[in-house]
Amino acid sequence: MALDRSAGRLARCIRCTRHERTLPIRTFTTTAPSRLETQETQASSEPPPPPAGATTDAPKPRLRDPNTVSTRAAEQQLIQHQRITPVGSRRRRAAIASTSNIPFSELPYQCFQEARAVLQADRKQKLEHIRVQRERIERFKAKDVAPQDEAHKEKKVADMRRRLEEQKILADINDPVVKRKFEDGEGDLNKPIYRLLADRQWRSYRRTLLLQRITQMNVVPDVLPAIDPVVSTALSFAGKRVQHGDFVDSRMSELAPSLQIQPYDKGKRLYTVVVVNPDVPNVQKDAFDYRCHFLASNIEISPTDTRVRLGLLGEEGQVILPWLPAYGQKGAPYQRMSMFVLEQAKSEGGGEFQTIDVAAVKAGGKYTQRHGFNLRSFVDKHLLKPVGVDLFRTKWDEGTAGVMQRAGIVGWDVEFKRKRVEPLPYKRMDSVRYR
Amino acid sequence: MPAISPLSAARAPSTATLSLLSNALRDLRIAAPTVTQHIQSRYASHQAQGRANKAADGAGKRLGAKKTGGEYVIPGNILFKQRGTHWFPGDHAFMGRDHTIHAGAPGYVRYYRDPARHPKRKYIGIVFDPKQVLPQPPHAVRRRQLGMLAYQMPASVSEALTLNVEIAAEVPAVPVTDALSASESSDVALPTPPARLNKQARTLRRSRGILDSLHLTLRPGYQYRTSNHEIGRAAERKEALAQAKGKTTRAYDEFKKGDRFAAWRKSAVRIARNNERRAMGRGKKGGKK
Repeated sequence: MALDRSAGRLARCIRCTRHERTLPIRTFTTTAPSRLETQETQASSEPPPPPAGATTDAPKPRLRDPNTVSTRAAEQQLIQHQRITPVGSRRRRAAIASTSNIPFSELPYQCFQEARAVLQADRKQKLEHIRVQRERIERFKAKDVAPQDEAHKEKKVADMRRRLEEQKILADINDPVVKRKFEDGEGDLNKPIYRLLADRQWRSYRRTLLLQRITQMNVVPDVLPAIDPVVSTALSFAGKRVQHGDFVDSRMSELAPSLQIQPYDKGKRLYTVVVVNPDVPNVQKDAFDYRCHFLASNIEISPTDTRVRLGLLGEEGQVILPWLPAYGQKGAPYQRMSMFVLEQAKSEGGGEFQTIDVAAVKAGGKYTQRHGFNLRSFVDKHLLKPVGVDLFRTKWDEGTAGVMQRAGIVGWDVEFKRKRVEPLPYKRMDSVRYR
Repeated sequence: MPAISPLSAARAPSTATLSLLSNALRDLRIAAPTVTQHIQSRYASHQAQGRANKAADGAGKRLGAKKTGGEYVIPGNILFKQRGTHWFPGDHAFMGRDHTIHAGAPGYVRYYRDPARHPKRKYIGIVFDPKQVLPQPPHAVRRRQLGMLAYQMPASVSEALTLNVEIAAEVPAVPVTDALSASESSDVALPTPPARLNKQARTLRRSRGILDSLHLTLRPGYQYRTSNHEIGRAAERKEALAQAKGKTTRAYDEFKKGDRFAAWRKSAVRIARNNERRAMGRGKKGGKK
């Protein structure tokens, strides 16, 4: 393309081939298609080559690529005959001339390579530290300790393990290849460094946004007293992502969503997911009630296996209350559908996560009632820890009546209207005062 | 011998010369110098208009508390008038553009501090019960009032909303309040919605009747809407449909020119209704103190 409309005015001016240029122009791009174009147009504008068989006085000038000239003579020829300046440094041009696909770590920049050498030496040192720390842990674990000191020993082992994790991070944190891989989305979340980078990225913006939405919408303290999100969540209905606090059409939320729970520490663990609506209108009490729209336990999640399709969980061992579509009756204020991810308790010593006996909970009866579901009590009873939260909102729309009818919910034809507040009695003064 | 100063070297002109000069120059003078006696003049207004000795004060703006703690208020009532925010709006109170604090809910006024919310601020809030206290304990569930009543939707609207879907169990007609509580208590046994909804159920269903015939066409300006003539005739067609069923959508009978009796009946109804409304209003005002 000779003159691209999308190019800016300056670029167009530089690339303009109409005018004769005495001095060669050096632009900022490393790729110079325009140069080659100008080269071509100049070549075409040059007088046509003499017919075959005719003798020529001077040999045909060889066309050189500004990206690959590496000798001084070639550079001079490029400038004098083709009126183009070479691109980049000579070392770079020499490297590109040898191969076009130079790996990142072999880029021919001296400062870069020196820095790489320093980082590699540091990494070697860190790996040595890791090896030493591992040996230390093994030796310490093998030691015999008196029973009264067992707790202290375990604490010390935990501290040493934490130090080991820190050292693993330190070994990789300065590696530019790691950084690049993470930014390209190719990081393996089984490795601690990528988990750390992902956690850091989440906390820098998306977690603060989530907390803002949760506190502004008063999900906390209405449903749970406080929460410190440690796992990130991503909610989607029928393949469409829902941001925290978004209004979701009732027809979209008729079927159970898909939830992605991303933990940032290693290992598999069991979670309980519960969806609670704290805005159910209660006309008799002139207040609001809670309703549980979904409750399922024993969901296994790991840093690499994060997806849960709430509609496809097992009825016997996992789901306590199946998905009830979210609905907001006409005239009622919007309903906040809060979704909590609760980490199940760890059994002492073994480190295994405790499963919740779903059958027992169902038989118990207290937590099988949707209306009046008390999440605080459920969390306390089963020793759960709130680690993640998400929110979407619903209100009366065109499809709500249909959704409620299909789900068999009574009350689709109920409309809420504001109660008239009796005005305060005022003594009416004489008309002079109201002039 | 006295010192001769350069000034006294030249001799002063005689008085005769001076008077001659002044006479000659009199005509050339621009204005005669007026010799006035120095009279002390005092002006009523100074440069700073209106202030004699101290700064002027405007009329009092009646700022301050308008409702005391514990008083019953309704939404909109002004609780405190202020310049700036001496007091902040607390629970169920809001602040107007001139920092006036209004009540947001019917209840009782409370003046309080909430160090958890802000270490220094003072708040004015509303509680629903005279025994309740502010501030609430930290992490407590917020107090909220619904402030609404539930009504059954009119039959025409609910008909329009009913879908062409087979409902498994026939829902008995129950009063609104019982229906709501009944549904919520037995929700464990609710039928789960079908895994795949048929396309018909998923698309928006319009009500039967006139709306079926209204179809969206591409109008100028790239908008899909019903054409104006269809909208204009909608009322007429609705009436025709109703009449086909033996009903009518009209509030009044069709006007017949010349039938003065029908006209009188219609206006009599209207007048009676207005009188009734006026009488009701008057009764209320008379009853208040």
